[in-house]
Amino acid sequence: MTELVAYLISGIALGSSFALIGSGIVVVHRVTRVVNFAQGSVAIVGGMASATLLDGRLPHGLGEIAAVLLSGVLGLVIGLLAIGRRGTPPLISLIVTLGASMLVSAAIIWLWGQDPVTPPGLRGSVTILGAEVERQRLLVVVATGVAFAALALFFSRSYLGKGLTASASNPFAARMVGIDVRKMGLLAFGLAGILGGLAGVLIAPSNPLSFYSDLPLVLGGFAAAVFGGLTSPLRTLLGGLCLGVAGQLTAGYLNGSYQTEMALLLMLVIMIIRSRALVQEEVK
Amino acid sequence: MDRVNPRYVLVVVAAVAGCVAPFVMGDLTFLMRMLLAAIVVTGLSLLMGYAGQASLGQGAFVAVGAVTVAVATTRWGVPPLLALVAAPLVAGAFAALVGVPLLRLRGHYLAFGTLALLLMVQTAMSTFDFLGGAFGISGIPPFGVGGTVFADQRPYVLLALGLLALVLFVTHRIVDSRFGRGIRALAGSETAAESAGVPVVRAKLVIFALSAMYAGLAGGLSAFFTPYVSPDSFPALESFTYVIMAVVGGLGTLWGGVVGAVLVSTLLQLLNLVSSQPQLPPTLGPILQYATYGGLLILALLFMRRGLVPAVEGAVTRAVSRRGGAGRT
Repeated sequence: MTELVAYLISGIALGSSFALIGSGIVVVHRVTRVVNFAQGSVAIVGGMASATLLDGRLPHGLGEIAAVLLSGVLGLVIGLLAIGRRGTPPLISLIVTLGASMLVSAAIIWLWGQDPVTPPGLRGSVTILGAEVERQRLLVVVATGVAFAALALFFSRSYLGKGLTASASNPFAARMVGIDVRKMGLLAFGLAGILGGLAGVLIAPSNPLSFYSDLPLVLGGFAAAVFGGLTSPLRTLLGGLCLGVAGQLTAGYLNGSYQTEMALLLMLVIMIIRSRALVQEEVK
Repeated sequence: MDRVNPRYVLVVVAAVAGCVAPFVMGDLTFLMRMLLAAIVVTGLSLLMGYAGQASLGQGAFVAVGAVTVAVATTRWGVPPLLALVAAPLVAGAFAALVGVPLLRLRGHYLAFGTLALLLMVQTAMSTFDFLGGAFGISGIPPFGVGGTVFADQRPYVLLALGLLALVLFVTHRIVDSRFGRGIRALAGSETAAESAGVPVVRAKLVIFALSAMYAGLAGGLSAFFTPYVSPDSFPALESFTYVIMAVVGGLGTLWGGVVGAVLVSTLLQLLNLVSSQPQLPPTLGPILQYATYGGLLILALLFMRRGLVPAVEGAVTRAVSRRGGAGRT
């Protein structure tokens, strides 16, 4: 029983990080129809920047916020590359962001080297239902919940968020009422950068990140986003949690090395089952 | 005298250069890798350019081809020639099998789906001892037919050249056929192609399997050449490199794959030479590699969308027609 609780909680923590990265992919895709392959790389930069900033330069809290904002700027730059040139088709933009993630990898090796980096996080652990849980993992879950709530409020309540939603649902009509759809797309990339950076800052203390982590991160995020049809943040959160828990249960009861494959397999199955609906969403 | 089409001149120059290079170049490993990449990328360019389907995991089929050769020769004692023939067939059959569910996906979903396929093939290779397990399969015998056995690297390079020529010829014939026109229609609009009577699902599957056959052929040859196959032999970065080569050379052109492979490989080799100077830091190599990959990809996509081959072709055609009229193209 305690074993199961431990797996469930660590699964929820893992799933939260998938969901955060996935939410970045969703935010960009909703508005621009582009899948941002560099979302994992942005998270790594966030985690590594927080490690550098917290190393005697800034106090806790400020350091993390600065790292997240830096990731937002990076996201914006990637957006400029991906959609800055008018008339770039979404699939070409995907490959541009693949190129961008490689450039970011080069920068990461240049600035931080090839070894994994981990910033200081919350120490110690608490006992929940008899299971020992690291505080940092709980922080990931709580912060993810807050981030998704803030995201929902932003999209439904704020003027900017409504503009983003309008551009997402009907770019033509949005342009008619005076919304600069391209600017909204760039804004979405910046917001995705912030979400990615947040994910990196939260994950890095318990899972050291290196330039090599970009692929697992972006695949996990994309898998979560697939649950939401690449458009719904809420279903992305649920998808991320499902993937995380399924992965941890696989790791716990079957074999630790199949965790990623489990997530990939689930992603493939969902994509193929829902392929008709997904294609329709794409066309719309 | 009839004006000579510049395209034929270029093809002859490429063929001569290809035949001379194995005898004058010192580093044949580099040449071999370049030729193998050219075979893979020709298939990928066909898939991405003509059929409009992106694959980020083409390495999965290279791996299947390589494992086929490794298992057949070391475990079953199959003669090398037979194993090499089997490699593309097994890879093609594998692609046809996984393609049925996978090709229901399009665009981004297919790109990520193929990448997931590559990672799962890697896992399968490291999990099942029959496929090599974590340590891989070593001791693959040298390639040979009958009594003649390949003793050094040169015959491999020549064989790869011959196979590349074969692959280009097959691709040329397919693109020019009725089937090829159907495929090109499909890349434009699946709905329009379907209503014009193109069997869309089957056509996509055939091209997918064909590109996998090319990849499997290259994989099989590389298994003989290396002669070692492990899950780490096919990193995702390599599959991304194929995409970069295809994009740089020009998607949906016969020669784009070859041009892209030659150009990108040469550039990386030069950077390797620069960064392996002893006084430079060891991290410079990977930094330059990633920066080049990323930079090339972005520059090519943003400023030369159709790739190098169409761009140069257009420039040459314009120059020829300016210089005195009707250059045939």
